[in-house]
Amino acid sequence: MEPEKAAEKIRQAAKKLLEEKKVDVVVGYAKGTVPMRDRPYFANTPEECANLTWSSFCCNNLASLLIGRKGKIGIVAQGCVSRNLAGLIQENQFKREDLYIIGVVSPGMVDRRKVQARFSGKVITEVAEDGEDLVVKGRGFEERVPKKEVKRDNCYTCMHRNPVIFDEMIGEKETDSFGGELDKVAAPWEKLTADERYREFKDTLKDCIRCYACRDACPLCYCHVCFVDETQPQWCGKTQDEADVETFHLLRAFHCAGRCTDCGACESACPQGIKMRRLTTKIEKDIRQMYGYEPGMNPEATPPMSVYRPNDPQDFIL
Amino acid sequence: MADKILAKDKLAELLAGLKKAHDVFAPQLKQGKVTWAPVEDAKDLLWDFANTEFSPKDFFFPQTECMMRFVNQAGDPQGMLMQDEPRLEPPRVLLNIRPCDAKAFGVLDMIFCQDEMTDDVYWRDKREKTVLIGLACNDPCPTCFCASVNCGPHHEAGLDLLLVDLGEKFLVKVLSEKGAALVQNLPEASSVDAAKAAELKKAAEGSMTGGVAMDQVNKREVMELFDAPMWNRVFESCLNCGTCTFCCPTCHCFDIQDETQGEAGRRVRNWDYCMSWLFTVHGTGHNPRPGKKERVRQRFMHKFKYIPLKRGGEIGCVGCGRCVLLCPVNIDVREVVNQMNA
Amino acid sequence: MFARRRFAVLKNLLEYAGLEPGRLHFSWISSAEAEKFQKTASRVIEEVRKLGPAKFVIKDLRKVA
Repeated sequence: MEPEKAAEKIRQAAKKLLEEKKVDVVVGYAKGTVPMRDRPYFANTPEECANLTWSSFCCNNLASLLIGRKGKIGIVAQGCVSRNLAGLIQENQFKREDLYIIGVVSPGMVDRRKVQARFSGKVITEVAEDGEDLVVKGRGFEERVPKKEVKRDNCYTCMHRNPVIFDEMIGEKETDSFGGELDKVAAPWEKLTADERYREFKDTLKDCIRCYACRDACPLCYCHVCFVDETQPQWCGKTQDEADVETFHLLRAFHCAGRCTDCGACESACPQGIKMRRLTTKIEKDIRQMYGYEPGMNPEATPPMSVYRPNDPQDFIL
Repeated sequence: MADKILAKDKLAELLAGLKKAHDVFAPQLKQGKVTWAPVEDAKDLLWDFANTEFSPKDFFFPQTECMMRFVNQAGDPQGMLMQDEPRLEPPRVLLNIRPCDAKAFGVLDMIFCQDEMTDDVYWRDKREKTVLIGLACNDPCPTCFCASVNCGPHHEAGLDLLLVDLGEKFLVKVLSEKGAALVQNLPEASSVDAAKAAELKKAAEGSMTGGVAMDQVNKREVMELFDAPMWNRVFESCLNCGTCTFCCPTCHCFDIQDETQGEAGRRVRNWDYCMSWLFTVHGTGHNPRPGKKERVRQRFMHKFKYIPLKRGGEIGCVGCGRCVLLCPVNIDVREVVNQMNA
Repeated sequence: MFARRRFAVLKNLLEYAGLEPGRLHFSWISSAEAEKFQKTASRVIEEVRKLGPAKFVIKDLRKVA
């Protein structure tokens, strides 16, 4: 379904929910103030639902904004986000009955940095969706860019565009996969030597400024005290030294093991465009191959790091 | 001090002159991004960029800065001494810095070097040894709003020289003794040149829409703004990350720690951010800004109310627009301030 | 048993990021298996020593800026 049409149906659904007082708030997206950015929006009244929208520029993960909220919450969720909601229900962060999930099929989100890279150094003033293309306008130029060339990395290899849990569905379900082969691209460094891998790893993180936008955008990172904020003892250095930056990313990726749905909110949030998914896609590939588990497909399932099977791989043990 | 003219074909010569006694840095295109980097060749300089993604404040206030080192061992040649870090060497030039960023350093001067008791030698040393040559904005971005926060696309505060691109040549506004010394051999500008520059300035300022209004913010009492109901909605989508703080040219919060390893150690200062829960938590566990609402409110109140009150009207924001572009959830400072002003 | 999964994932992650193979080892040893502990510890120490000083995510305070 065209994002514009989906947006209208979302507005209607949200309005109805609030009018019937089935929820206290509907969390969705509203148009942003800069090109290619729609932003999280909390509609508290039926009138405010007029501000809700849906597009290929919805690059946050709304599930992360729900944690800690009381009351009944309506939320607009596509495949990956609905899987995070299922995961959070597994982890007792929500009760299923407190959520009203408006399910949407993901159109695949646009990576604004890829679009900007095509107009390097120029100021883009407006981007609109038109069928399969984006119409990009700026100072002294207007061009069409096919959406399928500028999607987010994780959207190319998406395996679940359809929401896995929902209370109502906007439109019909469509093909789950976007066609990319995730297992082929999930762990590119496997073919390299240890030294080469370390170089790739360092290179991936060299621009990190420890703003923690990745962590704060992630629905899995909801610890009251994150390990980087512990002070007695301080597990992880706060400086820009390579080892400190690397420790943060390694540990954070590990904490997401068996839980990450590859929603891409981390990379979308990062102001430096760091590709930290290179760590989590490897971990999730291992989880799929070693334990046959995909995070968030079923709110009743038990997380893979909390169970074991007698025949789990153990050829690495002395 | 008279304005000068720099012909575009004289750039390389000027650059070579600067490099004799200074390290020269300027925004350049590195891997697709406009970033501050050492200048090798005048050809690499950019003249029609918007601004760098992150402010150049780390030239004076590095994200991680070692303040001193120590070795806690009596027998060691460096033992039982606190070794100061060396000062900046050689002096530097920041070329093509935008007026908003240059003004921001003036604001930070007021905070890092307030009086005898609060004189940050790490900051001051670098500031004194750096020359700022600005590049006026003839074509401000849609997200810039400097003109509405006591700054502007051709603003001169904080700069030693300001280059205005007249097309075939630059008008060089000489704004300090340091600046004058660097361009003493350049020809003087004519009144025609000066008029053209003034025209460009007016056009640039006129093209800026979507600024902020602060008249009511300035009038209202602190507690009236503090208790305003608008804060109940502003914080909702904030991730409480450090992106806005780190890209902002006027943000300056930091955290000092001693790191030790065996007997060796260093005292290090790192950027910190008031959006973090950890920033204000006390040893007792009490936190005066316990929730997102308190922290988000703090950010805007500090920049747009407390700093003006404490620093004679100076605003803690120069309208560079970086936070607007980089905020992961697109919280727009212009919208927030206009709400504060409503 | 639960640790087995975590170790498997952790070892894969660290080695994927560039930890030299041969530095990270796991073994099931109970406190009652003294000889096994001694033999395993000696073996690990010897293997790791052969690899020389570690390079992966190391911070030396005397060397950092």
